[in-house]
Amino acid sequence: MKTSNDTGLRGLKWHSLALAGFLLVSLLPLWTGQYYLQVFTIAFYYVVHASSWNLLAGYTGQFSLAHHAFAAIGGYTSALLVTSFGLPIWMGVPAAFLSSALMGFILGLLCLRMRAIYLAIATWAFAESVRISISMTYQITRGDLGLAVPKFFSGAGQGVVYYYFFLGLAIVTVLMIMFVMRSKMGYYLRAIRNDEMVARVMGINTTRWKILAFMLSSGTAGIAGAFYGHYNGLLTPVMVDFNEMAFIVIMVVIGGIRSIAGPVIGAILIQILTETFREFGEVRMVVFALAVIAIARLYNEGAIGAVRQVSQWVSRRKPIGEGVR
Amino acid sequence: MGKGDGELLRTENLTKDFGRLRAVDHLSLRLGEGEIRGLIGPNGSGKTTLVNVITGVYRPTSGGVYFSGKRIDRLSPDDITHEGMMRTFQVARVFADMTVLENMLIPAFTQGTSRREAVHRAKGLLEFCLLGRLSDEPARNLSGGQTMLLQIVRGFMRQPLKLYLLDEPFAGVHPAIKDVMIETIQKMNREEGVTFLIVSHELTTVRRLCSCISVLHGGRVISEGTMKEVANDPRVIDSYLGG
Repeated sequence: MKTSNDTGLRGLKWHSLALAGFLLVSLLPLWTGQYYLQVFTIAFYYVVHASSWNLLAGYTGQFSLAHHAFAAIGGYTSALLVTSFGLPIWMGVPAAFLSSALMGFILGLLCLRMRAIYLAIATWAFAESVRISISMTYQITRGDLGLAVPKFFSGAGQGVVYYYFFLGLAIVTVLMIMFVMRSKMGYYLRAIRNDEMVARVMGINTTRWKILAFMLSSGTAGIAGAFYGHYNGLLTPVMVDFNEMAFIVIMVVIGGIRSIAGPVIGAILIQILTETFREFGEVRMVVFALAVIAIARLYNEGAIGAVRQVSQWVSRRKPIGEGVR
Repeated sequence: MGKGDGELLRTENLTKDFGRLRAVDHLSLRLGEGEIRGLIGPNGSGKTTLVNVITGVYRPTSGGVYFSGKRIDRLSPDDITHEGMMRTFQVARVFADMTVLENMLIPAFTQGTSRREAVHRAKGLLEFCLLGRLSDEPARNLSGGQTMLLQIVRGFMRQPLKLYLLDEPFAGVHPAIKDVMIETIQKMNREEGVTFLIVSHELTTVRRLCSCISVLHGGRVISEGTMKEVANDPRVIDSYLGG
C-alpha cells in the first residue's frame, strides 16, 4: 500500500539511499580527523532533536518551542541523579526520559486547546522558565557556572566511541519515529494535524494522542539531553537559549518538514555548515534564517523535496525502451 | 417512526442557545432503526446545529439525546462515534494530506480493525463508489464532488454503523456522483441496516430516498410525514414562504 507518509524518494529507491548513507557515516571515522568526528557527533545529537521535534510539530501540528528545554530537563535529571545520588549513568538516562516525558505530559495537558502562535508562545514561556530556574537554583544546578557531569567514557581517544554512540542513538530515534508514523498512531497524528474535529468524529481520542506525541517527543529530547551531558561533561543554562530551539527549527525546515529523512539531512547539513563557517559568527544564523524564510515562502518541502524532484527528473529522462530486451 | 423494530435515536426537549439566539428549541425527534429520514427546513432553521448537538460537537443547553437507549449528550464526539454513530459535514472535510485509502482506514483503525481487514473493506467500498482508481491519490487532488463522496463512504468503514448523519451531502454535486451517493446510501441501508438522517435542501433527492421527512423551523419540528404530507402542510408552506 502506498502512503503519503514517506520520504518521497520512491524513484531513487530510498532504501538503497538510506543504506548507502548508513555505510558512509559508519565508515566516516576511517578518514576523518578528531575535529570532524566531534562535529558529526553533535550533528547526530541534533538529528535526535530535529526528528523528535518533527514528530510533534511536523506530523502532529503542535508547534512547540520548548524542545530544547526538555533536553535540559533530561540532561540535568540524569546529571543530578548521578552526581548527587550516586546512581549509575545507565539508570540516569531512562530517568531523563521519564522526567522529560512527565514534564511533556504536564505541558501538553496545559496547552491542549492552544494552537499555532498561542502554543508557540506558551511553550516558549515554559522554556524560558526552565532556563531561568536552572540559573537561579545555583545550589542544585550551579547556575551559570555549569554543572560538571560524569562522562560516559573517560580518557583520551574516545572520540570514535562517542561518534558511534551518538550515531546509534540517532538511528534508534529515526527507526522509532518511522515505526510510530507507520503504525496506527502515525495515522492518528496526521489526521489530527489535518483536521482535529474530523479526527474526533472519526473516533480518535485526540487528547490522548496529542499528549502521547508530546510525551514521546519530550522524552526523546530528554534522552538526547542526558547523552549530551554525559558526553560534554558540563551542563549550563546555555542549553536552553532560544538559539538552540531556532537551530532545531532551521534544521527541520531546511531538511524538509513532515518527512523522515528531512530532519536527518537538515541536522547534518546545518551542523556541518555551522562548523565550516564558524569564523562568520552570528552571520550564519542570519543566513540560515533567510534560507528558512525563502523555503517557507517558495518551496516548503526543503532539501528532501529537492532530492525527490531531481530523482523524478532523472527517471523521466531515461529512454523509454531502457531495460527492455 | 420508520421501518425498523425499535427506536434508535431520541431527542427530548433539546435546546441549544448561542447567547440570546435559540438555534434549537425544545426539539423532540424520534428515529427508528433502519430508517432513511430526511431533515429539511429553510436556512437558519437549526438543522446543522441539531446534527452538531446529536454528534457531541456542541453541548445542548438543556434536554437530552438518547441513542440505542443510552444518554449521549454529555459524551465527546469520539465517544459517540464509538457508540456507532458517524456524520459528515456540510462543507466536505477530509484529511487533505493523506491519500484516499488512508482517509478510509482511519475510522476502521479507531475501532481496532486490523490493517488487512480495513484495506480489504476500504478497497471494496472505493470500487463500488467509483473511487477505486484514486485510492493512492492525495485527497486534496479530488474534485468537490469526489471529496464529498469520499467523506460519505469513509463513514461506512465503521462497523457496525448504526446511524449516519449526512449534512447536505448533495449540495453542488454533479448528478452522476449524486446517483452514486444515492445508490451507496440505499445499499448500506439495505445490506448493513444503517439508519440515515439526511439534512438536505434537495427535495427531489430527499423524496427519492426518504420515506419519512421531518421539517424544522425556528429550531422546532413543525411537520413530519411523507413528502406529500409535509408538502401539503400549511405550516411548512408558511415557513418556506417566510410566514
